Amino acid sequence: MQTRRQFMIKGGKLVAVGATAAAAGPTIYVRDARAAGSLKILQWSHFVPAYDKWFDPFAKDWGAKKGIEVTVDHVGFADVVPRATAEVAAQSGHDIHMFLGLASAFEEHVVDLGDVVSTLEKKYGKQVELARRSTYNPFTKKQFALSDMWVPDPGNFHKEVWTKIGKPNGPVTYDDLVWAAPEVKKVAPQMQIPIGIGLSQDIDSNMAVRNILWCHGGSIQDKDGNVVLNSPETLRALEYAKKLYSVGMTQAVLSWNAASNNQAFNAQETSYILNSISAYRTAQDNNLPVIPNYFFVPALKGPTGIMMASEHVMSGYVVWKFSKNQEAAKEFLVALVDASRDSMLASKLYNFPSFYGAAAEPNTPMAKKQESGAAWIAAQCNKDPFGSNPPDKLALLAKSLPWSTNLGYPGYGNPAEGEIFDTYVLTDMFAKAATGALSPKDAMLEASNRAKEIFNKWRQKKMVPGGGKDK
Amino acid sequence: MPTVRAGETIRRSDRRLGVAMLAPAVVYIGLLVAVPFLLAVFLSLTNSSAGSLNFSFVGLQNFRSVTANAVFRRSLRNTFVFTFVSQLAVIVLGNVLARALMKPFRGKAIARFLILMPWAAPISLATLGWLWIFDSTFSVINWILKVVGWLGPGEWYYWLGDTTLGMIAIITIHIWRMLPFSTVILLAGLTSIPSEVREAAAIDGAGTMARIFLVEVPMMRPILTVAVLFGVVFTFTDMSVVYLLTRGGPYNSTHVLASLAFQEGVLGSDVGRGASVAIFLVPVLVVLAIVMLRSSRQAEVV
Repeated sequence: MQTRRQFMIKGGKLVAVGATAAAAGPTIYVRDARAAGSLKILQWSHFVPAYDKWFDPFAKDWGAKKGIEVTVDHVGFADVVPRATAEVAAQSGHDIHMFLGLASAFEEHVVDLGDVVSTLEKKYGKQVELARRSTYNPFTKKQFALSDMWVPDPGNFHKEVWTKIGKPNGPVTYDDLVWAAPEVKKVAPQMQIPIGIGLSQDIDSNMAVRNILWCHGGSIQDKDGNVVLNSPETLRALEYAKKLYSVGMTQAVLSWNAASNNQAFNAQETSYILNSISAYRTAQDNNLPVIPNYFFVPALKGPTGIMMASEHVMSGYVVWKFSKNQEAAKEFLVALVDASRDSMLASKLYNFPSFYGAAAEPNTPMAKKQESGAAWIAAQCNKDPFGSNPPDKLALLAKSLPWSTNLGYPGYGNPAEGEIFDTYVLTDMFAKAATGALSPKDAMLEASNRAKEIFNKWRQKKMVPGGGKDK
Repeated sequence: MPTVRAGETIRRSDRRLGVAMLAPAVVYIGLLVAVPFLLAVFLSLTNSSAGSLNFSFVGLQNFRSVTANAVFRRSLRNTFVFTFVSQLAVIVLGNVLARALMKPFRGKAIARFLILMPWAAPISLATLGWLWIFDSTFSVINWILKVVGWLGPGEWYYWLGDTTLGMIAIITIHIWRMLPFSTVILLAGLTSIPSEVREAAAIDGAGTMARIFLVEVPMMRPILTVAVLFGVVFTFTDMSVVYLLTRGGPYNSTHVLASLAFQEGVLGSDVGRGASVAIFLVPVLVVLAIVMLRSSRQAEVV
């Protein structure tokens, strides 16, 4: 039988031990990445799940050969940035962190990977320009991330419906969409949303509205980092979006998430979406009725003649400064680029190599590596090894590089562009203009003011150039 | 005088015991409430960003920028609407359910289990289910309304694509989520009222409404205060339903302060701005807490 005093003394000791343990370490035990011989990688859960089945054993096998214990943790794409924020705040976590878009906001906490890029360029030749513009800050001259792959973002169209309206090869220009919408309603009245371009707060809509803006000659920044959103070109793009929304879209597109356009197209509820091939692969895997009518077109041309689309995903691997295995991390990144062919095949042609030369035939002379790599990529796309019918259904992807660009076009990706992307300033502007919540001009001015505010903040931190010619 | 000394020793020992009993709560509140709160105030006065440990003081610049922003003003309004409407509905419906559960009926155990289920379900999973129910393209509600003839050809409710319908969807899920807790609390309050009181009121000729509003509600005031206080604070600071269901859309029109703070501070990497949005929750919560606690103290039975 314990007295109250004995109980209190024992209880007090227990509390003291608990408090000491809590103060000494986090409640959730995270294995210390700095332990010798270990490498922790934070990787997204790929939109094509087959890729993860390849990546995890690949990383572990690489580690086994080097005597390094490799751990791969996967998170959903929406959790990549919050996890990075938490790890930076704690100055602890993974050694390598994979970003899907711009990692530039974290530049201060990552190792300069200039030596890795230099090694890879000596082996394979230059990386593609949109990868360089997404991972290098010319203002601070820092290679803050490494891209091993990027993903093209073609248009997906319903062959049968577009054939019925007299365009069997799908749309070519943005005006084609406006023209087609009422025709689609006539020939396919069961389709809820004739044209399925998202105007919501999600990753796909964020890219779609940039495509419309760029193809009408507008952009957030110019090549030197000046904010130029307030322009006649932007106004033209917003007026176009308003017209397209009124003839071919419904309020559904204002609420879409990253999966919604895939689901709408796969359920044959829309005749055109902007998406990578992940939706198509899902339809194939599930043998959906839409498959015979699932076809692709390149980026559409705007009235300016510009034909441009944002990359759908751009990998940006960073190595944290708090990692004590920085050399191993860098070695791993080199090995990952070395495996570009396997990566592309494991992702069922979703991933495109950022170093085309890494996909070259073995023993190709240096001067011919990029050409050889491009030829191998084209060979895969021209005869899809994953069962497309016709086999050359994805052939246009092999020619997607000229019409693909980076976030931040025509300048470099930077933290201000990243913040505008992540807080949906552009989708907000387009949605307000399209629905009439604001006039196109007011929507543009509101977004432009917010963009300038964001750019100025990052300029004060000396991470973004420009400012002298803001509009 | 041995008796006096013994009394002092007991008093001293009781004081020590009191301090020891309170200490964990004080430490807990200090570490998990006071420190983060002061840190948030501090960060709101800086240009701190998520990817950097360096920052400089910017005074009230974040507050000026945030209050000039239409999205913030809309979020502030949404937060009040969200809290007021959902809490009103939760208290009214909780009362109805609690009264129903007081009566004996067949299948009462199953009914109680079903009522409690939303409280036990993880909100992320539950919201995914609701996401399908309210999906703008495949909404189950719309399909049912079509089948019963409520919606004609070409008519469709875009639950998550319309600002008003979006707020209705968010509030509906939150009511569904909070109702079990409120029901249980109110059931406990109702069962604690002695049956003699009800009988006396009935003998005095009080009708049902008079019995509820003049006898039962005043007697349940302390427990109602707890339910409302908890519900209001929880709702005012909650972002999960908004974030999972609409992510603040369409065009940032369904944000509440908590979800906007997360979007600006964590997703947008602007920690200073996010903190300044979050700080706006504090004065309202402080006033609410004072009002509620005061009214609760007045209602305490001595």
